[in-house]
Amino acid sequence: MTPQERARSTISHVQPSQRGYYDIPVIHGPHWKWLIIGYFYFGGIAGASAVIAAFLRLLGGKSGAPLARIATYISFLALVPCPVLLILDLGRPTRFFHMLRTFRVTSPMSIGTWGLTTFGGISALATGLQLLDDRLACSRERPGGVWRGVGTGLSLLGGLSGFFVAGYTGVLLAATAVPLWSKRPALLGPLFLSSAMTSGAAAISAVAWISQCKESGAHEQLRALETLSTVTEASLLVTWIMALGSTAKPIAEGHLGAVARHGAVGAGMALPLTIGALSPYLPQRLRRPAAVLSAALTLAGVFAVRYAVVMGGRQSADDPSATFDMTG
Amino acid sequence: MTSDRGPVPSMIGIPSKQLNDPLRTSRPGENDPYGVDLVSQTLSAVGFLTDATICIGCKACEVACKQWNQLPADSQASNFAMTGFSYDNTVDLGASTWRHVAFVERPSRDGIAWLMLSDVCKHCVHAGCLDACPTGAIIRTEFGSVVIQDDICNGCGYCVPACPFGVPQLSHSDGGSHKCTLCYDRLRGGLAPACATACPTGSIRFGAVEELRGAGRERVATLKAQGLDDARFYGDDEMGGSGGIGGLNAMFVLNGPPDAFNLPARPRLPRLNIAPSAAATLVAAAGYCLAAAFSFRRHR
Repeated sequence: MTPQERARSTISHVQPSQRGYYDIPVIHGPHWKWLIIGYFYFGGIAGASAVIAAFLRLLGGKSGAPLARIATYISFLALVPCPVLLILDLGRPTRFFHMLRTFRVTSPMSIGTWGLTTFGGISALATGLQLLDDRLACSRERPGGVWRGVGTGLSLLGGLSGFFVAGYTGVLLAATAVPLWSKRPALLGPLFLSSAMTSGAAAISAVAWISQCKESGAHEQLRALETLSTVTEASLLVTWIMALGSTAKPIAEGHLGAVARHGAVGAGMALPLTIGALSPYLPQRLRRPAAVLSAALTLAGVFAVRYAVVMGGRQSADDPSATFDMTG
Repeated sequence: MTSDRGPVPSMIGIPSKQLNDPLRTSRPGENDPYGVDLVSQTLSAVGFLTDATICIGCKACEVACKQWNQLPADSQASNFAMTGFSYDNTVDLGASTWRHVAFVERPSRDGIAWLMLSDVCKHCVHAGCLDACPTGAIIRTEFGSVVIQDDICNGCGYCVPACPFGVPQLSHSDGGSHKCTLCYDRLRGGLAPACATACPTGSIRFGAVEELRGAGRERVATLKAQGLDDARFYGDDEMGGSGGIGGLNAMFVLNGPPDAFNLPARPRLPRLNIAPSAAATLVAAAGYCLAAAFSFRRHR
């Protein structure tokens, strides 16, 4: 037997494989679960509320001020749990500050850490200024020109860093090897931004309705923004799932599919939009509860989106065929 | 490689006498044991060439790796259970398994054909884990290898899904992320990595990446000439080191399609998704600003 014949008889006639190796995942999935879903949720509300506060303050004129006040407080309150959730999720929580020993442009998590830290500082200052403003309003003194300038500057910075905090998380997920997250990066980022904006607008309008904040022109604009954002989010979610093709399996089928269809799209988007469309025809006394219900459904829907995307990513990483489909 | 160091050893270009002498006390770089200066900044990268056609599945590499790196047993979770589906009981690379021998069993004319391959961290030229690490714990060493500094890692876990090959993993016992270090401590001490030293067949070769790349391609050509049409080189721009990864410092000679060994044929560097994703998100943010400006102007 020649070496050539020997090689042929032993190895080369192996059957073309069924793909993969005992169905063992090719890549390792993330450990992220509830804490990170919670962070994505609250971080989104915090960032988007700061953006909406900036819109109201810079563009909303006099009628925007009461809603901007609510938005500023919501932004700060939603931000408070964020670092706690992030630190608790670390494998070594006491080393959280190691995030602040370097800056790496190739790591969305590193950029995000610095962005969130910046946002936290700006948010704290803006909230402090708002508290001061509230005190002065009680004593019927209006803040002077310098304070106005500081307020405008903080609103602008808060809006910019708020956009960052609301949007970077989708980029962070897209920059992984997880098929569900990485296959359509140009859709996942905008989806996360728009679901954050939806949740921010819904949180502000819920509080505004509950606190019986006097209706003004700004209310109408906030409602318009909420509707626009919900429609954008819904179309991005559907487009994203369709563009993923077979990679969308974890969030198109099974438990997560139900969460995405009924929770996110049905209860979280379609229902609030319907309530919004019907509200002019409702009797006056029902409008307020309807608006609060609509906002609460929207907030729950955004949570369902975050839940489905994060948990779906874990399933996607555990599916070797999803990885092989993307890597040939 | 100059000749004044005596005969060049067969495959890896490393004088085996020096490699196997743990008591070698010369300063690093002095004897230039790898044919490359170990500590200078001009060092050429070193890595592995792992040849599936020579592997006999003895798992000496797994044992040597565990022993040298003092890695805990990794089946504690499953109570030291056997997988039951093959001789592969370590299943996957992980926090406590830095070399993993895959046992691919496939039907053949004579019954079953076995392919065995010792998988390991690829020490990518552009590494997803290193890109993702937000603490600076993951570094590129002077040997061209990618190492997680355990005293810096805070267990954020981002490197885990950022690796296209599924290499790093968080440890349940200490919370940090762990993977092969290319035996950084041994390299500093002038020794070859434990797995390559232990391999009895020469399936795991250690040496300068450029030399190994040439050797790997040559080996594939030889195998093909011998009639092994399924032979292929894994670790260059075309296969394994594709999609912005820029090649692998730990390469493989495979005798089957990469997915049979659970290796992705054409992985992509995850970092490349940042630009399109961030750009699209910026466009969306600009859209919100425009919509707000329009809406508020109309109502003012």
